[in-house]
Amino acid sequence: MQHHFRCLAALLGAAILVTACGGDDSGDDKKQAKSFAQLDAFPSTYSIEQSKPVIIRNAIVLTGTGERLDNTDLVLEEGRIAKIGEKLRAPRDALEIDAKGKWVTPGLVDVHSHLGNYPAPAIESSQDGNEMTSPNTAEVWTEHSVWTQDPQFALALAGGVTTLQILPGSANLFGGRSVTLKNVPGRSVQDMKFPGAPYGLKMACGENPKRVYGGKGTAPSTRMGNVAGYRSAWIAASQYKEKWESYWENGGEAPERNLQLETLAGVLNDEILVHNHCYRGEEMAIMMDIAEEFDFEITAFHHAVEAYKVADLLAEQGVCAAMWADWWGFKHEAFDMTEANIAIVDQAGACAMIHSDSAIGIQHLNEEVAKAMTAGQRAGFDITPEYAVTWMTLNPARALGVEEETGSIEKGKMADVVLWSGNPFSVYSKAEKVFIDGELMFDLHDPARQPRSDFELGILNPEGERS
Amino acid sequence: MNTLNKLICPALALVLSAAVPNVVAETLLIKGGRVHTLAEAGTLPTGDVLIRDGRVEKVAPSIAVKADREIDARGKIVTPGVIAPVSEIGLVEIGAASSTNDYAVSGDSIGAAFDPLPAYNPKSTLIPFNRAGGVTRALVFPGIKMWGEGVGDPQRVFAGRSFAITLNGEFDSVVATDLAQKAYTGEAGSLLAGGSRANAIAKVRNALEEAREYRQNRDAIRSGQWRELNHSIDDLEALQPLIDGKQPLLLTANRASDIIAALDLARQFQLQLVILGAAEGWMVADRIAAAKVPVIIDAINNLPTAFESLGARLDNAALLQRAGVKVVISGPGYASTHNVYLARQSAGNAVAAGLPYEEALKSISRNVAEVFRIGGGSVEPGRVADLVIWSGDPLEVTSYAEAVLINGEPQSLVNRSTRLRDRYLKPQAGHEFGFKR
Repeated sequence: MQHHFRCLAALLGAAILVTACGGDDSGDDKKQAKSFAQLDAFPSTYSIEQSKPVIIRNAIVLTGTGERLDNTDLVLEEGRIAKIGEKLRAPRDALEIDAKGKWVTPGLVDVHSHLGNYPAPAIESSQDGNEMTSPNTAEVWTEHSVWTQDPQFALALAGGVTTLQILPGSANLFGGRSVTLKNVPGRSVQDMKFPGAPYGLKMACGENPKRVYGGKGTAPSTRMGNVAGYRSAWIAASQYKEKWESYWENGGEAPERNLQLETLAGVLNDEILVHNHCYRGEEMAIMMDIAEEFDFEITAFHHAVEAYKVADLLAEQGVCAAMWADWWGFKHEAFDMTEANIAIVDQAGACAMIHSDSAIGIQHLNEEVAKAMTAGQRAGFDITPEYAVTWMTLNPARALGVEEETGSIEKGKMADVVLWSGNPFSVYSKAEKVFIDGELMFDLHDPARQPRSDFELGILNPEGERS
Repeated sequence: MNTLNKLICPALALVLSAAVPNVVAETLLIKGGRVHTLAEAGTLPTGDVLIRDGRVEKVAPSIAVKADREIDARGKIVTPGVIAPVSEIGLVEIGAASSTNDYAVSGDSIGAAFDPLPAYNPKSTLIPFNRAGGVTRALVFPGIKMWGEGVGDPQRVFAGRSFAITLNGEFDSVVATDLAQKAYTGEAGSLLAGGSRANAIAKVRNALEEAREYRQNRDAIRSGQWRELNHSIDDLEALQPLIDGKQPLLLTANRASDIIAALDLARQFQLQLVILGAAEGWMVADRIAAAKVPVIIDAINNLPTAFESLGARLDNAALLQRAGVKVVISGPGYASTHNVYLARQSAGNAVAAGLPYEEALKSISRNVAEVFRIGGGSVEPGRVADLVIWSGDPLEVTSYAEAVLINGEPQSLVNRSTRLRDRYLKPQAGHEFGFKR
C-alpha cells in the first residue's frame, strides 16, 4: 500500500500478468527473460500520487461486485481504497465530501477505444489508428500512434472513464498491439500507461479485412481467406516460439528477432491478450476453434453483435464479449442486432460488457449500460443497477487483465472512483467527481479540475480554452 | 363502459387492433396518463385524450365518454410521437451494402432536382425498429457521398428533394413531398466545391441566381434562346420554391463564421433557412435568433471532430434555446439513421446540460412539425393522433414506448431486435439452439 505506482509497475507487473493469463506464478528474472511481450521497451512512467486522503460520506455505493451499499462511507488513502463502511473516521487533512443522495461507482473501464490514435480533430494527418498496408501488422504497437493531447481524453474523463484500452483499427487480420491507459494527462503515452497491464493483440474477423485487402486484389478477399490468414500466421508464430524456447533451453545462436512474430508468440505464451473484433456468431465459433488448434486464449470478442447466438459457447470457453447497447445496420454483419444482447450473454454465464468504440459513446457508458439493462429486464431477466454496473467496470477490467487492481470498490484496490450526482443509470446524472488512484482528476464544479489538453488552449478564444 | 373493449394495458390494445385489421376505430380514449400536450393546454398531470377518426378530438383532465376502445395509461407518460427531422429511412437498409443504398447519387450532375421518393421502401427494417423507439414520423432527405471515389466530381452542393413519412410501414405512408432542399456549406461544402468553403457558398448563390433568372425567362431558357446556364432546367425548377420563400433550405454549417455566411445568404435571397449542424451555433445564437432561423443539431455530439466544430459542446441546445432560437434535435449522427429514435437520449442529455424539459420534448416533435409544416408534434384538438405512451419519462434511457399510435391506430412494436431476442431466448421446434443458463 505504501508503494508509489512507479514501483508498483515494477513489482506487480509480472503478478498482474500472471493473474490475467492464468500462467504459473513465477515472477523471477528467468521467466521475465523468456518473454515475448517486451514489457520494458516502452515502460510505464505513470506517476499520479494522491495529494491528500479523501473521505466520501453517506453515498449509495454500487461496488462493481454486484452489491449496493447505502449510507456508506469510503476512505481513499495513498492511492488505494482504504476503508468501506458506515460512519468512518476521516483521516487527517482529508478532503471530505458529503455524498448524501449521490451515488458512487468504480471508475468506468472502456475496453475498446480509439482516443489518441483516432483523435479529434479528425484530420487526415493524425488518423494513426490503422496500419492498412498489410493484413498482418502484428508488429505495430498502437501506443506509438497515441496523441496524448487528444482533447477527447478529458471528455471521457468527465463521463467517469478512468481506464481505457486503445486498440489499433480493424482493417487487418492482425492489427497490432493495444495499450491500456489510465485516463490522466501525460506528455508521453508512457505517462498514461496502466502500470503492469498486459498488452493486447487486436484481431479482426469478417467484412473489414476482406473488403480492404480484397479491394486491393490481395488476400484475403473472403472469410475463408481470413481464416487461412490467421492459421498461417499462427503456424509461423508457433515455429518462432519453439525456436526461441529451444534457444532458451539449449543455448546456441540466438534466433533473429521478428517484431510481428514476437507479438503473436506473446499470445501463444499467455502474455498478450487477444481482443478480437468479431460480429457474427459462426465466426466467433471458428475463432474459438482456431484458438484451440494453436493453444491460445481469446480474451474477448469485440463488437460482438451476435454474441447472444453463441452465448453458451462463450460461457463454456470463458471468452468475454464486448458489445454495444443498440448499434446496428451499418454493415451486414451488424444486421442481427438485439438490444438484449448484453443481458443474454451475461445471463448465459459468459463475461459480458459494454464498449464504446466511439468518442461520444465513451462519455455515456452509463447510459449505454442503462439501455442494455432495461432491454434485459424487458427480456424477463432480473437485472439490477448494482449488477449491471459490472458491465462497465469489473468485467472490462477483467478483459484487460487488470481486475486485481481496478474495476470494483474493494479494499486495497486502486482508488479509481466516480461520484455521480444521482443514479448513474439516469440520463440526467453526471459524474461530479472522478478520482484516479485517489487523486481528484475531474470535478464538475471546479474548472481547475477539468483537464485541458494543450490543443485546447487559445482555440476560439486566445485568452481562454476551447469552449 | 364497454368491458369487452376496456383495455387494461397498451400491449392488449395491440392484440385487439391486430384482431380487427383494416378497421379504423371511430373513437379511442387514452385514460389517466401524464399528458405532455406541447400545446396551449400544457402538461396535464393526469389527463385523458380522446381520438376520433385518427385525430385528437379532446384533451382534458377527465373525459367521460364511452369510446370504442380504451387504453389505460395510468402511471404512464403520453406525448406526441417523436419526429425525426433528418433521416434516410426507407432509402438505406445496410450502410455498407451499396445495393441497399439509394440516398445518394454520384457521377451524375443532377443536384437540386434529385428526388429520392421513388426509392422509398416502406418495408425497411428501420421502420418497425424506430417505431418501437417512439418515432411516428420522419423527414427523409437525400445526401451526397462524402467518401470514396468520385467525391466532388461533378461539383455540386445541392443534395435534392425530401419527403415525409409516417412510420406505419404502409405503402401509402408518404405524407408530404417536396418539403425542403438540402445543401452543404462549411467543410463538407468545401469538399464538394473544389476545395474552398467560399466556393460552396458561391455555388449556392449561383444556383439561386440562376433560379431567379430562370423564373424571369422561363420560356426563352426552355426553348434554348438563352445563354448557357450552370444548372439544368430540372434543377432550376426544383429551386423555385426556395426563391419563393415557400420551402426551407437546409444548409449544413457548423463553424460560427459559416453560420453567419449562411444567414447572410438567407437574407440576400429571402430564404427560409434552416441550419443543419450548428455545432458552434451557441457562439452566434443571438444572430440566429434575430434571423428567426431554426437549427437542427446533433445535441449529444460535443466532439471537436473537425476544425469547423471546435466549439462543440453539450449545452449548445440550451444556449441556443435561451437565446430564442427554435431548436430541433436530430438522432445522433454517430448511431446513424438506423437509430434516429435515439434523438430522445440526445434530448435527455440536452436537458442535463440545461435545456428546459418541455423544450427538449418539443425539440424532437413539435418543433420538427413546425419547421417542416407537417402533422403531429402536439396533442391538441384537430391534430393528427401520432402519440406515444411511455413506461416513464420519455427522455430517460430506462424508459420505453409501451404503445405507439399513428393516425390514431395502435402500432405493432415487434421488430427484428425483439424477434431475434425471442428466437434465441425461447428455443422452439426447428430452432432448438439458443439460450442456456
